[in-house]
Amino acid sequence: MTAAAMTERPAPYVQPTQYKLSAAGLLGSEWTKLWSLRSTWIVLLCAVVFSAGLGALISGTVPTDLEIGGAETAVGFAMSGVGLSSVFVSVLGILVITGEYSTGSIRSTMSAAPKRLGVLWAKAAVFGAVVTVLFTVMVFATFFLSQALLDGTDLGGISLGDEGVTRALVGYVAMIVYLTLLAIAIGAILRNSAGSIGFYIGVIMILPQLATLLPWDWVSDVTPYAPGNAANTITYVDASGQALGVGESWLWMGVWLVVAYGVAGLLLKRRDM
Amino acid sequence: MNGRPADRTVVCMIEIEHLTKRYGKKTAVDDLTFNVKPGVVTGFLGPNGAGKSTTMRAVVGLDAPTSGLARVNGKHYSEFRSPLTEVGALLEAKSVHAGRSAYNHLLALARTHGIPKRRVQEVIDLVGLHEVAGKRVGGFSLGMGQRLGIAVALLGDPAVLILDEPVNGLDPDGVKWIRVLLKGLAAEGRTVFLSSHLMSELAQTAEHLIVIGQGRLLADTTVDDFVSGNGQARVRVVSPDAARLAEHLAGPGVSIASPEKGVLEVSGTEAAVVGQTAAAHGLVLHELRTDRGSLEDAFMQLTADAVEYRQTTEGASR
Ligand SMILES: Nc1ncnc2c1ncn2[C@@H]1O[C@H](COP(=O)(O)OP(=O)(O)OP(=O)(O)O)[C@@H](O)[C@H]1O
Ligand SMILES: [Mg+2]
Repeated sequence: MTAAAMTERPAPYVQPTQYKLSAAGLLGSEWTKLWSLRSTWIVLLCAVVFSAGLGALISGTVPTDLEIGGAETAVGFAMSGVGLSSVFVSVLGILVITGEYSTGSIRSTMSAAPKRLGVLWAKAAVFGAVVTVLFTVMVFATFFLSQALLDGTDLGGISLGDEGVTRALVGYVAMIVYLTLLAIAIGAILRNSAGSIGFYIGVIMILPQLATLLPWDWVSDVTPYAPGNAANTITYVDASGQALGVGESWLWMGVWLVVAYGVAGLLLKRRDM
Repeated sequence: MNGRPADRTVVCMIEIEHLTKRYGKKTAVDDLTFNVKPGVVTGFLGPNGAGKSTTMRAVVGLDAPTSGLARVNGKHYSEFRSPLTEVGALLEAKSVHAGRSAYNHLLALARTHGIPKRRVQEVIDLVGLHEVAGKRVGGFSLGMGQRLGIAVALLGDPAVLILDEPVNGLDPDGVKWIRVLLKGLAAEGRTVFLSSHLMSELAQTAEHLIVIGQGRLLADTTVDDFVSGNGQARVRVVSPDAARLAEHLAGPGVSIASPEKGVLEVSGTEAAVVGQTAAAHGLVLHELRTDRGSLEDAFMQLTADAVEYRQTTEGASR
């Protein structure tokens, strides 16, 4: 049986030629992966509830005799839940990538896309786009809701046309997207869920705040540039008093994303899966 | 499936050239060189920790070789424009997110290459997962996870299949099914490369064998040659004149044991020689038989020095 089979080898098999790995394919794949996990739905729902709910709660309970007013404070009240929900979406962004490592599905993913980098870009693009759309809607809806509740107080009567208001609201959306993208890169670098979440919350979110308590002047000079603070300026209606200008703020967000994705990409290419 | 008559030059689909992989100080694969050809099932055999999985991961570009090359059809795996139609790999059962359904896992992989949903359904049916395709993979049994892994490997209808212990966790029905499936795929001209630590399992499926131990190549041969070359052939003789026969048979390279009175087990010679010797001295024989060593014996003999994780109690290993 062996001898016969050896001499009469079948004709070479020709595999299907109509299928090709493509960037569009990778985006579609990440879209499918994102929405086929229950955790995505749960976390995004929590993010929406917190950012709208907290904004509404705080706006709805402002004492009428409070001696405050102005667009800055009004926007700040409306967006009070957004910071919290940015933690939700950042953690989800981390899990989008570390979840693949912890379950081993990264091996399936990377054997379908052996150049690897496309997977990272696709994950960032898909999740970044979802967060952009979701939070654009959320931020503006929460602002209008809050304004409706604040009507009649000194914080009411603010419109998108007022100077700096729309820019600040867009700034909130951009800040959340920026932090989410940063979180995805951290997940790609550390590959471990607990480690990445710990690093993100501890080093990116909390450390720059704690650092301001240190007695050295140079520390407070650099903290505004830290990855977790770089986006702060763009969320102010009047950004003139901030350590970073609006342009600088965008610049530093870009710098940190390039650094984070540069490191993530390099490591992704180099490391064994 | 899409087979077409073509030139009959034998191409090597998988080429491993001086492949070495170290993890820190640990050398998992050590200067390994072999080829895997299309049209037959090739078994990849070795004890635990021999480096089978490492070699297979290197082929699909998941682990970078420390030195040497692993190529498919002349190319590095990452150079392919449609990797899933070139190589289908089952590397570890459940390389799947536990929270995702089998269908969605396959769909996500299919979408990277623009493979239609129809094909996803096809492979689900093929591996017999249609009833649970919508369930979360976290609840799957080992065998179901293994079937999903096989579905993933078949998704792109690839020319090369690399399967790391595909029968692991399958029930007897499943084992039979995969045997037939793999032979059929090879008969279509595909390259089928599967690993196992069970020689007996491979002997029923594979035609060619690559045996490694401690990361080194021990044998690259056909199953038949492997068995006859390594299986210790023993001649069993039953004779009332056993003691005298033994005296005449004794010689260099011949070892004779007598497990019971009147019975000899002779190795290092052949039945014909034993028969002639008996006739020449006028000795009566009641039985003369060649016992081929089992495949497992042959394998264990070959890898005896290369077994890394051996039980301390020798008796328990038999
Ligand atoms: N990622 C890794 N890091 C460190 N060591 C590894 C890694 N992968 C494999 N090894 C080591 O390399 C050696 C070969 O492992 P490999 O998994 O390739 O063996 P195997 O032949 O597949 O074994 P088994 O039959 O048990 O599956 C083992 O000693 C293993 O401990
Ligand atoms: Mg293995």
